[in-house]
Amino acid sequence: MELWRYISRRLIQIVVIFFVILTVLFLLFRLAPGDPVSRMVDPNLTPEDAELLIKELGLDQPLWMQYLYYLKNFFTGHFGNSFHYGQPVVQIIWDRLPNTILLFTTSIILSALVGIFLGKIASWHKGEKTDTCMTLGALITHTVFLPWMALIMIWVFAYRLGWFPITGMISEEIWLDPEAGLWRKVLDVLHHMILPLTTLFLIHFGSYLLIMRSSMLDTLKEDYILTGRAKGLTEKVIRDHHAAPNAALPVVTSVGLSLAFSINGGALTETVFTWPGIGRELVFSVSHNDYPLAQASFLLIAIVVLLSNLVVDILYAYLDPRIRY
Amino acid sequence: MALLVAENLSVGYQTQKGYLHAVEGVSFSLGAGKSLGFVGESGCGKTTLGMALMRLLPPNGMIRQGRIFFDGEDLLQKTDEEMRQVRWKKIAMIFQAAMNALNPVHRIIDQIAEAILTHDPLCDKEEAYEQVRGLFQLVGLPQDRMRDYPHQYSGGMKQRAVIAMALACQPKLIIADEPTTALDVLVQDQILQETKNLQKEFGISIIYISHDISIVADVCHDVGIMYAGQLVEYGAREEIFDSPRHPYTKALLSSYPTLTGEKNRLVPIPGETPNLIHPPLGCRFCDRCSRGSVSCRTETPVWIEISPRHKTLCD
Amino acid sequence: MMTVTTVNTDIELSERFHWIGRLLEGWSIYRKSLLGKIGLTLLLLFALMALCSFIPPWADPMYHPMTGVDPEISYSVGPSMRHWLGTDFMGRDILSQLLAGAKIAFMVGVSAAFMSVFLGTAIGMIAGYTGRFTDSLLMRLADMIMVMPALLVLLMLAALFGQLSIWFIVLFIALFRWPGVSRVIRAQTLSLKHRPFIEAARVAGASHLRIIFRHIMPNVLPLSFLYMTFQVTSAIIIEAALAFLGFGDPGTVSWGMMLQWVWKTGHMFRAPYWLLPPGICISLITLSFYMLGRAMDEVLDPRLRKEGETD
Repeated sequence: MELWRYISRRLIQIVVIFFVILTVLFLLFRLAPGDPVSRMVDPNLTPEDAELLIKELGLDQPLWMQYLYYLKNFFTGHFGNSFHYGQPVVQIIWDRLPNTILLFTTSIILSALVGIFLGKIASWHKGEKTDTCMTLGALITHTVFLPWMALIMIWVFAYRLGWFPITGMISEEIWLDPEAGLWRKVLDVLHHMILPLTTLFLIHFGSYLLIMRSSMLDTLKEDYILTGRAKGLTEKVIRDHHAAPNAALPVVTSVGLSLAFSINGGALTETVFTWPGIGRELVFSVSHNDYPLAQASFLLIAIVVLLSNLVVDILYAYLDPRIRY
Repeated sequence: MALLVAENLSVGYQTQKGYLHAVEGVSFSLGAGKSLGFVGESGCGKTTLGMALMRLLPPNGMIRQGRIFFDGEDLLQKTDEEMRQVRWKKIAMIFQAAMNALNPVHRIIDQIAEAILTHDPLCDKEEAYEQVRGLFQLVGLPQDRMRDYPHQYSGGMKQRAVIAMALACQPKLIIADEPTTALDVLVQDQILQETKNLQKEFGISIIYISHDISIVADVCHDVGIMYAGQLVEYGAREEIFDSPRHPYTKALLSSYPTLTGEKNRLVPIPGETPNLIHPPLGCRFCDRCSRGSVSCRTETPVWIEISPRHKTLCD
Repeated sequence: MMTVTTVNTDIELSERFHWIGRLLEGWSIYRKSLLGKIGLTLLLLFALMALCSFIPPWADPMYHPMTGVDPEISYSVGPSMRHWLGTDFMGRDILSQLLAGAKIAFMVGVSAAFMSVFLGTAIGMIAGYTGRFTDSLLMRLADMIMVMPALLVLLMLAALFGQLSIWFIVLFIALFRWPGVSRVIRAQTLSLKHRPFIEAARVAGASHLRIIFRHIMPNVLPLSFLYMTFQVTSAIIIEAALAFLGFGDPGTVSWGMMLQWVWKTGHMFRAPYWLLPPGICISLITLSFYMLGRAMDEVLDPRLRKEGETD
C-alpha cells in the first residue's frame, strides 16, 4: 500500500540523516581543539581507572577504529558515565526523556489544535473586531522572546501571585509520601506543568492561527466550495466539513517545518522552569563540561526531532488522501 | 406554463473601478423538458447569468432588476433559507472546469450522498449510498470506483461524477456551464450524447452555457446569443442557424468551421468587447460591426420579431 | 544573426529598467500598509538607539556598557536621574547596555541574514537551474540542515570550542538558515527557467553562468529581500537565546546577555527595570521586522493586496 511505502521511505531517510549526525558529532569531538581524551574521560578518575576507560572506549586506537568503537558503543547503549552525576549517562537521559515528551508533545498538540480552531473563526469574521483582535493577539504573542516570557510568567504567577510553583516538575513531599495516591501525583505534575505549558503554547499557537486563517481564506475561494453552496449546504457545513479539512493541511506542514524551532523553545523552557527534561540536561551538561552527558543528550534530542518529523509526515499523509492513494 | 421565465434580468458586480454591468435586460423562457443554450465569447455575461439564476453570485454581485419565475414562484423574493432548499433539489448546476468542483479530501460517494441527505432528511446513509449506486450506473461509471477520491479519476470520469451529483436530487432544471470545455474531443462527444439521452429519459430542462456554438447546436432546442451582457438574438435552434439575423450571430457562425456546407474562409471578428463599467448607449456591437452606422451608436436597439420563435436586436 | 542580437539587447534593456518601475510601484503600495508603517517606524527607532549607543560612554566612562562602573553604586538600583533605567548588579548603566544591545542586534541580524540569503539564493539558483544530480544533492543537504535545531547545535559547538565569538555565531546562524531561502529561490528559478526570455538568451549563445547572474538573479532578488526580513528575526532570536543561556560572546553586550545577567544573579524578581527593557526590545524588534516582511509580502504578491489598490 502506498502509505507503507511512503513511511518506509521516510524512515530510511531519517536513519541516514541520523547516521550523518552521529558521524559529524564523532568527528567534532575528536577534531575540535583541545585534548579529545579529556572529553571522554572524567578528569576525576584515578589514572588507573582512566587507563581502563581509555582502553574500553578505544581512544588509543587509530581514528577509523575509534569510529567503529563509537558505533558499537552507541548501539549497545554505552555512553559512559556522566562527569557530574557519576552515573551512567544512559540512565540519566532515559529518566529525562518522558518528561520532555510530556511537555513537548502536549504543547505542540494544544497549540496546533487551538491555532487551527481560532484561525478558522478568525477567517469567518474577516475584517471584523474578532478577527483583528485574534490576528493582533497572535502576532504579538508569537513575536515575544520565549525565555523572557518564561521569566515574566514565573515572576507574575509564581512569585507574586503564588499560584504555581517556581521550579521543577514535582513536589517532593507529595511524591515521597507513601500514602499519596496516583491521582494526587498526577495533579501535582499538572500543577507544575501549567506555567511551562502556557508559555510554550502562547509562543506557538499564534503562527498556526495566522497560517490557518490565510489558508481558510484561500480555500474558501476554491471551486468545490461553490459546489457546496450550489448543493444547498449551510454555511456552517461548508466551512467545517468542506473548507477546514483542506485548510488545515498547510498548518500540519508548518508544524513539521517548525519542529526544530519548537525544540529550541522546548529546551529554553525546560531550562528556565527547571523542568527535568533532556533539553535542560543538554544545557546543563554543556555549562558543566560534562561531555558524555552532553553528547548523549544531543543525540537523543536529534532522534526526538527526527521521529517527530516522521510522525507529522504520517499525519499529513493520513489527512490528505492525495498522498495516501 | 413554462418552467423558467426570466424577465428583464440585470446583474452586475461592484468593483473598485465602478459598477460592472455584466448582464443587461435579459428575458427568456424555458419549457419543461426543453434545453436552452446561451452562447457568447468570454466576458459576455453568460456565466453570470447562470449564477444569478441560482442566486449564487459572489458577495460583490447583485441582481439589480428583473424577475426569475421558476415553477410559478419568483426566486428573487425567496429568503436565503428558502433558496437553499431550492438549490440542487429543484435547480442543480454543473460547473465550468469540473476539475476542481469536487472536494479533494472527501470520497466521491460521500459527496454525492451529501447532496441526497441534505435535501431528504428522512433518508439514511445506506439508502443514500444505494441511490448513488444507481446514479453511477446511469452515467456509466464503474461501481467499484465509488469510494475513490477525486484525484484518482480522469477528467472524463470527474465530469460524469459531477453530472451524477447534479442528478442526485432529481432536479427539474440543470444549468450546465461549459461542462465539457476542459475535456478532449472524444470524451466531450460521449458526454454530450449521454446528456441528451438523460434529458430525454427524465424530462429535465437544461440550460447550456458555452462559448462553443457547435456544442449548443447539437444539444439545445432554443439558443440565445449573448454579447457584452445583452441577449442579441434568441430563438429556435433551426431558425438561428439557418437564418441568423444579428451581425454578431452571423460573424460567430462564420468564425467556426463546418464539416458540411461550402468551404469558406474562417472570418475572425475584429476588435474587442466594450467596457462594461461604462457601457455604450447604443448598440454594443457597433464598433466591430461591418454594418455600423451613426444611429446605431446612439439609439438603444429594440427587439425585432422575425417569427414567433425568433427575435433579434438587429436585422 | 544581427536580428537575434538586437532582440536580446532590447529584452535586456527592458528588463534593466523594468525593475526601477517596479521598485517605485512597490514603495507606493508599501506606504499604504499600516503594518508596514508601524514596522518601519519601530525599526527606525531601534536604528536610532543603535546609533546613539556610542553617546553614553563618550559622555562619561562610567556609562560604558561592559566596563563602566558607577563609583558610587556597585549594586543594582532602580531608575534615577543619573541612570535613566537604573543599574545592573555591578553598578553598570542599564540604558547604555540597552543601546549597545541594539547595535549588536542589528549587526548580528543583518550580517547573518545577508549571508544566509546570499548563500541560499546562490544555492537555490544553481539547484533550480542545473537540475538533476546537483539539484538532488543540494536539496538533500538542505533538508538535513533544516531538521537540526540551530540553537542546540550551537550549544554543542560551544561545549567543544569554548566561548564562541560573535562572528562565529553569525556565520553559523547563516549556515543553518540558508536552506529555507534556497527552497523558495529554487522554486522561483524553476518557474523562470522555461520563460521565453531565457530561451532567447540561450539561443543567442549566453553561457549558463551569464544566464544565471544576468537574467535569473534580478528576477529572484525581490524574493531574496523579502526573506531577508524573516532571516533577520531568527538570527536575532538565536543569538539572544544563546546569550541568554550563557554561551554568547562574553565581549559583547547583547539583550540576551542582559537577560542572562538579570536571571543568573537572582535579580529577576526584584529588578523589573532591568528585567523588562531587554525582553521588550527583543520582542519589539522581532515584531517590527515581521511587520516589515508582511508589508513587503503584500508588495510582492498581488493577491494579498487589499481591495482598492491598482494592480
